[in-house]
Amino acid sequence: MRAPGNGLKLALALALAGFAGPAAAALTISAETDRTSVEINENLYLTVQVAGDSSSVPEPKIPNMQNFNSYSSGRSQSISIINGKITTSVSFTYILSPRFLGIQKIPSISVFNGTEKAFTPEIEITVTRPSAAAAQNKAEGRIFLKAETDKKTAYPGEQVNLSVKFYTSVPLTSNPQYMQPPLKNLIPEDLPPIRSGETTLNGEHYAYSEIKTALFALSPGPAEIKPASVVVQVPSNETLDPFDPNFFQKFMSMSNAQGSSREFATEAVSLNIKPLPPGAPAGFSGAVGNYTVSATADRLEAKAGEPVNFSITVAGSGNLKAVTAPQLPDLQDFKVFDTMSSLDIRKDGDIIGGKKTFTYILVPRAAGRKTVPPITFHFFEPRAAQYRELQTAPLTINVKKGDLDSKNVYFSGGAAAPKVTASDIRYVSDEPRAGFIADSAEGIAALPLWPLTLPAGLMLATFWLSRFNRFKSANPLLFRFHRAKSQANSAVEKITALLKAGDTGAAVALLYDSFMYYLSDKCGVKVSALTMKKAAQLIKERFPAVTPRAMEEVRELWTALELRHFSPSAAEPEGVRNLLKKYSLLITLLEKELRRPRP
Amino acid sequence: MTRLLLLLLLAPVTLAGAYDRGELNELNDLYKNDRFEEALEGYNKIVAQEPANPWGWYNAGNALFRLNRTGPAVFHYARAFRLNPRDPNIRFNLEFALRQTGQALLPDGMPRALHYVYYLLSDMEIKAFAICLFWLACLAGAAGFLLDGAPSGAAASRTAVITAVMCLGCLGWLGARQNSPFAGAGVITKTGGARLLSGPGENFKACASAPEGLLVKVLDSIDDDYYEIGLPKEGVKGWALKTEVEKI
Repeated sequence: MRAPGNGLKLALALALAGFAGPAAAALTISAETDRTSVEINENLYLTVQVAGDSSSVPEPKIPNMQNFNSYSSGRSQSISIINGKITTSVSFTYILSPRFLGIQKIPSISVFNGTEKAFTPEIEITVTRPSAAAAQNKAEGRIFLKAETDKKTAYPGEQVNLSVKFYTSVPLTSNPQYMQPPLKNLIPEDLPPIRSGETTLNGEHYAYSEIKTALFALSPGPAEIKPASVVVQVPSNETLDPFDPNFFQKFMSMSNAQGSSREFATEAVSLNIKPLPPGAPAGFSGAVGNYTVSATADRLEAKAGEPVNFSITVAGSGNLKAVTAPQLPDLQDFKVFDTMSSLDIRKDGDIIGGKKTFTYILVPRAAGRKTVPPITFHFFEPRAAQYRELQTAPLTINVKKGDLDSKNVYFSGGAAAPKVTASDIRYVSDEPRAGFIADSAEGIAALPLWPLTLPAGLMLATFWLSRFNRFKSANPLLFRFHRAKSQANSAVEKITALLKAGDTGAAVALLYDSFMYYLSDKCGVKVSALTMKKAAQLIKERFPAVTPRAMEEVRELWTALELRHFSPSAAEPEGVRNLLKKYSLLITLLEKELRRPRP
Repeated sequence: MTRLLLLLLLAPVTLAGAYDRGELNELNDLYKNDRFEEALEGYNKIVAQEPANPWGWYNAGNALFRLNRTGPAVFHYARAFRLNPRDPNIRFNLEFALRQTGQALLPDGMPRALHYVYYLLSDMEIKAFAICLFWLACLAGAAGFLLDGAPSGAAASRTAVITAVMCLGCLGWLGARQNSPFAGAGVITKTGGARLLSGPGENFKACASAPEGLLVKVLDSIDDDYYEIGLPKEGVKGWALKTEVEKI
């Protein structure tokens, strides 16, 4: 038999067990999305709520989703205690980016607290194509350019910083191209480097690049920074339609590097440039900023007549390029030569500054302790809106007696040396013409090139003539050999004329002489030294190809001519004509025989 | 005969100088009285009438400079400089205008004296000088050949050699001038500067910008609307509208 106490315990245990069953079922999980349809290039939010009756609930297990990229976006927790009962509810938020078109499922999400497990049902999401225009507008909405200045009013020469910021929350396919804004009544000075970073604007994450420029106004009145622009390549969101007739062309031209070119511009920014306050000191030359001034010399001891480099350095913040050399007082003890300036610009903390040094060459006129008095420099300080005056410390130079004669050092009259106070272009010219040299050069250069062949041809002709004469002088026998035929032919014509005129004696004499000269020219010996035997020997030696018949013809003609030449009575016109014909034929024959190659 | 030849040579030039000093004085008076636009109009007429007159370009450059049109002013000064590089006023104003646009006439490290010698004569003068020397060398050479062997022939030959060497020197000088910043060059004349595109058309993306007044090399001018230009110092090249660049 069991004790009643034991029965009560059992009943209590059963009751507890019965109560514990519904309490364990208190672990619940639910999931919901902010929408059931989403475009492929958009995101959706998935909220998973886990509730339980303990102070902490486990984190749900997000399954591996092939169709979505998921990112955790935070959690929120609420705990309520009602009648001693603790209820905890935690909402986990996830951002889902769809990866594929069509109906996609978010799988079941589970949660497990060690004793029990709960599941959510699957959720179906319809992923659609983005509309091209909407996608483009969205991309453009995520890229913008903003220009702003650190002040809206300034004095001429006062620094105004312009900041042009380029924001983008979409990836670009190439580096953006920045076009500087045109400026009106302002001159720019770059403020490198280009700053870049990331920021969140209106819940959107942006990458930005900032280009800063220092501006200096030129004159009072309105000034304007016209729109700056940036050209970017935005990725094209156009999708490929397989039924598009240009499908293959579009497919082949698709590339990540391509996209559409877009230009973004800033709004124009206007500035009000105030005039400088009245009451500028006499020595004020337009320097605006905050400066210090100092004077130094490269040496404090020099001889009379020796140059000393005297430098005035203006340092500080402001547009030092516009700072002109301070006016030197009248230096009686020195001859002052040209001014040179050197500029050292610094851009620390986006403030244009640095130092500008004006160097004068001072030549002491005489020995002694010579002092360069304080140099006054005026500038306008925009922050205080006041003109300032600074002075350098006086500088004493110990000048010793120079090696040069004092006359070379002293300059008569003590008149001040000319000083350059400003620079400008030179005046227009009243020359109506280019000048004689330029006019002549234009005339000559305008000539066509063919006349240049005339002197060149003349020189070539004279060159040939000169070479020919030299060759002729060096080879007289060769020339005699070649001209023999033409001279013989010429003689034949004359003899024919003489025969027609009835002068048979002269014709015979000329025929004889012509024949002798012909053989002399061909044999290369003088006429006086030519005998029939010698001629035959020389012809055979020099022209072995000559036939015996030709030689026989020569001998026959020679004998016949000697007979008629030395006994003119035997010379009858008919006989002479026959000899002349024979001579002509012999010349033709010999010309052939003499040119015949050696056997 | 020589006079006749000289007259024939100079006849086209003399006829070209068709405007008188009085007209020029009137234009200079307009300039003096700050009527730069009107003066510029007159100077442009002179330039159109006599493109080889450096003073027309110079005066027009001055008027443009006064009108704050630095780019066209640099272009006009550069034209004047190419026609008369010896003149100190032209050189000064070109140097001044170049300085305004952040450039320098004198290349870094080049002695000023050498620069003066390099630009002692204009391209046209060097060419004319070379032509004259060529004639002289040929005629002296011909005389040398004709008088071959005679003492005067030797003198003529020496003259021919010297003038021929001088002629070659001139041609070398002319060749060296092709590398000068003004040879085959242009100036950005568009107010506010020009955009350099990666190709000859608006469909190409902008790859650089060139400020107004910048001297650039014109690499190609075949396209109807665009020049291909290069910025040798920056190592950049691109295409710019022909309306934005003036070829020197």
